[in-house]
Amino acid sequence: MKKIILILLLVPLLFASDIKTEQKIYGLIIHALLPQKTEIKVWTDSQSPKNIFCLIKGVKCVKNPENADFLLLNKKKNIQTKGIKFATNIQLLEAEKDTIVGGFFWQKGRPNILFLRKNLQKHNITLPESMQEYIEDEL
Amino acid sequence: MKHIKQLYSFIFFSIVLAIAYLFFSTAQIQQILNENVESIFIKEAKSFAQNINNNIKTVIKEDPYKELKENPSLQKKMEHALSIIINDTFKYIFVLYRDSNGNYRYLLDGSKEDKAHFNQRLSVDKKLWSSVYDTKVPLIINQKELDNLWITYLKPVVLNNKTVAIIAIDFSTQLPQSIYNAIEPLNKIFIYIFIAIGLLIVILIYQSIRSIKIKKESITDPLTQAYNRNYLRDLLSNIDITKYQIMMLDIDHFKQVNDNYGHKTGDYILASSAKIMQNEIRDEDILIRFGGEEFLIFIKKSSVNSYLAYNIAQRIRKKIEESRFFYEDKELQITLSIGISCQPEHFKTVSLAIKYADEMLYKAKREGRNQVISQSTNDTTLLKKTNTKSINDVKEALEEQRVVCFFQAIYNAASLTVVKYEALVRIKEKDGSITSPADFLESITYTNVYNDLTKSVLESVFTQIKEKKIQISTNLNFSDILDNKIFDLIIHELEVHKELSSWLIIELLEYELIEEITIVQSRLLRIKEYGVKIAIDDFGSGYSNYSIFKLLPIDILKIDGSLIKDIDTSEASYKITHSIILLAKELGITTVAEFVHSKEVLETVKMLHIDEVQGFYLAKPSPNIL
Repeated sequence: MKKIILILLLVPLLFASDIKTEQKIYGLIIHALLPQKTEIKVWTDSQSPKNIFCLIKGVKCVKNPENADFLLLNKKKNIQTKGIKFATNIQLLEAEKDTIVGGFFWQKGRPNILFLRKNLQKHNITLPESMQEYIEDEL
Repeated sequence: MKHIKQLYSFIFFSIVLAIAYLFFSTAQIQQILNENVESIFIKEAKSFAQNINNNIKTVIKEDPYKELKENPSLQKKMEHALSIIINDTFKYIFVLYRDSNGNYRYLLDGSKEDKAHFNQRLSVDKKLWSSVYDTKVPLIINQKELDNLWITYLKPVVLNNKTVAIIAIDFSTQLPQSIYNAIEPLNKIFIYIFIAIGLLIVILIYQSIRSIKIKKESITDPLTQAYNRNYLRDLLSNIDITKYQIMMLDIDHFKQVNDNYGHKTGDYILASSAKIMQNEIRDEDILIRFGGEEFLIFIKKSSVNSYLAYNIAQRIRKKIEESRFFYEDKELQITLSIGISCQPEHFKTVSLAIKYADEMLYKAKREGRNQVISQSTNDTTLLKKTNTKSINDVKEALEEQRVVCFFQAIYNAASLTVVKYEALVRIKEKDGSITSPADFLESITYTNVYNDLTKSVLESVFTQIKEKKIQISTNLNFSDILDNKIFDLIIHELEVHKELSSWLIIELLEYELIEEITIVQSRLLRIKEYGVKIAIDDFGSGYSNYSIFKLLPIDILKIDGSLIKDIDTSEASYKITHSIILLAKELGITTVAEFVHSKEVLETVKMLHIDEVQGFYLAKPSPNIL
């Protein structure tokens, strides 16, 4: 019986490796955008990565977007907030290019990270050297 | 049985190997199929890329970024051309250029979905892309890290000897996936087979362990943890007895332990004694509980110590003697008697060697218990009382032809003329002295040396018969007739000396009427077919039984010496002998009086109308027939 329980516990861990990679990327992005915060409040309208955020070290998921420091958006939403908005697709990034700081999305089967310089400046954000190459002046 | 097991193992592993071979062959087929398909599609992609390259070179003069930016309709037209090529295999076809920061941006994108706009940035492996840009050499990239892409073919667009863009064709994973999907059911079958084999192996291992455990239980005595008789039965058929000495051990007065202290105490004594025995022997020795309080130990012989079994036996005996056994506030002291068969290889069977060790054990019991009795070539404990010869002494005498026959004349009682002789076996010692059979027959009983001796005596008797043409009798036991080897030997000798066999008389020592009397009867009849006469020796003493006349084909009856020697003085001997003679006459059996040692005895037996007489008064055994 113990062996069966052990197998049931191990199987999900095998499938967890991809999620961990995505979690790691989001962790890097969030902490690069908000380096001064020890606890970053995150809100998202996307269900799938929600659990990913909640497990990132130093991140706390919140239910109210107005209380969030970082908003991960999948669809266009009229949210009045001082928090940093980040897109999960290029279409939203283009549509909200005046307010959204950047996006992490997949194109041609390849992962793409993109930051908009003017919006970074609006939030007085200076990205670390390793992320400088992903900054775009305009779309 | 062992061969069948080996055959099963061979078949099982052959099947496993064949399945494994098929499994790896299938994997290899998949690999070859992938490579071939890959090669076909790369060839096609190269052709497409070349056409796109030609197309770009036709419309673009110098700077594709500038010219396409300024001419959106040209851009649209060219993207449409790219989109036509896109199919299930060629998933993405696009053209990128490298900006001043080293980033790659779209010039053209043939995709209908996931379409990028002009000058949009795309994250690519800059190192590989730049190598194409700088070297102007096309590159095939196997996309192992990207889930949806299989291969990317990159072709540089070179204008005026300068790379201005790169054409990229991404292959979908759909094709290798479809190959994989086609072969997958086969792979799954193999996996199920391997799982089934794995389970089978687990079950086999489990069953084997169980079987070993059950077998061990079936051959182990639960009380003493020694082997039991089941094990002994298997051992007897497999053991190389030349490598062992046999020891039979018995706890002295064990019945009294059970009677006085109860069976639980008896069991405790048995278990404790067995433990002591086990501790005193080596791993290669075998301890068996033979039955009750009797144990049997097979001691592996040592090349340097022929006294090994004797030494171990003494060690065990001493250890048991010195031990104090405590059970439920009772203190007990016990002793062991031990008999040893040091050279079991000389016996016809291991069972006989064990029987011999048992006889030695009973000698030890008779001689006062708590002692070890062993018989071997060098073991003086057994040879102490008499001049008893060992097996090797007799063997040596046979080899050196020092086993000889003496002949004692048998006379017709009325005429006192010699009518026959009795052959009596002797060993001629190296110093010329003569050893009688009483000093060597016992030590060779049950052994192959006894067979050799019988053969030698028969040959010697037939030599004399051939030479002297006179009847000669030779002595055998009932057990010899029952022994297949000796019986075959007698028949063989009779066949060889067929024309002389009617001169031969076989004297059988009268013995307890044995269970296998019908076998003896049929075998004696077979012997008699050669004209051989059958005599019963020493009749009238011991286990004399009149039914013997009814059952066996007897020609001659030799009346026991104990009746004859005092026939002239003992009325009882006289009357018994008289009645035997009368009975024999009625049955038509010739009578012989042995032990005729005086004139008075001779006259008395003559008076009783005995047929033949034999004894020292008439003639002593002599090496030659006169």
